[in-house]
Amino acid sequence: MDDHLVGVLSNIGMISFIALSAYLLLIVGEISFGQQAFFAISAYASGIATAMWGWDFWPGLAWGAAVAAAAAVLVGIPTLRIRGLYFSIATLAFAEMVRLVFEVFKYQVEIDGEMVGPDGSDGFRDIRYIFENDITAVEYMLMIYGLLAAVLCAFFLLERSRLGSIFRMIGQDPVLAQMQGIDVTAYKILALGMAGLVAGIGGGLYAHLTTFVEPKIFNVMLGVHSLAYGLIGGLGTAFGPLIGVAIDIGFLESIRAISGYRMIAFGGLVAVLLIFRPRGLLDEAAVNWIRLRLRRRHA
Amino acid sequence: MLALKSLSKHFGGVRAVDGLDMEVGKGEIFGLIGPNGSGKSTTVNLICGVFPVTAGEIRFEDRDITRAAPHVCLAAGIARTFQNIRLFGHLSVWQNLWVAQNGMADRRTSGFLHRWFAGSGRARADVERLLEFAGLGGKAEELAANLSFGEQRRLELARALAAKPTMLLLDEPAAGMNMEEVAQLRERLMALRDDGKTILLVEHVMELVMGVTDRIAVLNFGQKIAEGTPEEIQNDPLVREAYLGAPQSAGDGHA
Repeated sequence: MDDHLVGVLSNIGMISFIALSAYLLLIVGEISFGQQAFFAISAYASGIATAMWGWDFWPGLAWGAAVAAAAAVLVGIPTLRIRGLYFSIATLAFAEMVRLVFEVFKYQVEIDGEMVGPDGSDGFRDIRYIFENDITAVEYMLMIYGLLAAVLCAFFLLERSRLGSIFRMIGQDPVLAQMQGIDVTAYKILALGMAGLVAGIGGGLYAHLTTFVEPKIFNVMLGVHSLAYGLIGGLGTAFGPLIGVAIDIGFLESIRAISGYRMIAFGGLVAVLLIFRPRGLLDEAAVNWIRLRLRRRHA
Repeated sequence: MLALKSLSKHFGGVRAVDGLDMEVGKGEIFGLIGPNGSGKSTTVNLICGVFPVTAGEIRFEDRDITRAAPHVCLAAGIARTFQNIRLFGHLSVWQNLWVAQNGMADRRTSGFLHRWFAGSGRARADVERLLEFAGLGGKAEELAANLSFGEQRRLELARALAAKPTMLLLDEPAAGMNMEEVAQLRERLMALRDDGKTILLVEHVMELVMGVTDRIAVLNFGQKIAEGTPEEIQNDPLVREAYLGAPQSAGDGHA
């Protein structure tokens, strides 16, 4: 496999996590412009764990994702009491706050005569676990996709479960859901925590792939893109955001001839879809239609 | 079973419901009629806790539910349907019923996996029975949004029943139905009464109200102007004047 292709596929896999994270919140009817914050928090936390504390990769990744999930729940408790646009703005403000905190965050230790750790706006270098342990790019890509497959399985189980139905109910009509005895705020906080966890997995993977993270990559455009992926691909199934990522990263960004026009094409695509398919290509109706077809064929 | 005592709801200066006294007995089908804007839907919304009460008291099975939240009223055994159909259109018919049935803090304690993934066998059987009752057999996997208008109304009724209420508040269940559908609805309401449910029926379709209720209360401008059996109401001069219109049109029932 050539390096470029491996790089592109790894990118698609990693960004898929943050896209799934934004998708989960879209399902419960909240638009978050701030999922990049949890991606960033985990990138730093897991990087600190492996590069500075000498942890192994998997515990480091789990730690990063757990910190991101905890941060999401803490943010959710005050912000999910406000709804709609106000929630969106609150998430955006939080994400910018996190980014600015990392701009001044310094925490370094000396390892083998070199200072390692986050150095404010200069970023966090030398998260070298992957290199030091001779994990090849292809192996790392497979690790990313293994995790992605596991997360997707969890999403499909969720869709089949009562919890998934409750999430969709809340997304569609929170007042009616409440009348049926559902504690809307509690379930939304749960959804935010799960979304933080998923974004966190992506962030930890990202830090170890690039070996270097700096605050400015976690800007609002990352959050806007991750939202748009679900809206392009569709909100009917967890495959939806993955389709969005594949279109954007796999096609628009990675093919050199058209990458200069990426934002034009991407913006146009979002605009067209919002008019013709407001809930994306694979929306609930399309997914149910496919499901019924498949079942009929088997029966 | 359900008692309203000088119940009032004011929206600013508008007295939507004004000192309403009403009692619905157990196992009754009780009709609540009145011209548009007379306070019928507001009364329903007050009973199930959607609007806060301005003054007065609501008692259900000797419990004070005046200030109870909607889900508390549901847990107490009062389920409702909506004047404007309100379903989860993105969910399948089956999911709409399944979650409604379990919405209440899960009194059933079958295993975790069953409860969260497939529903226990009994829950499943209940949903099947409801689908059958509502004439939605074979539609379980359809999205609720894809059902016809009449089917959506029946699904609303089934969903209200899924929570196993003792009392049903039906807010204009026959609106927009044709004669045949009204007749079917009437059959269903009779069956529910025979099953021991108490029903408060808010309705404009007189064929249904007069044919199915045991007693009727008539509202006008938020106040009760008459109460009695369908025959008494039909012959009440006040009601004719306020609601059924001029005497010559009272016979056809529609006004």
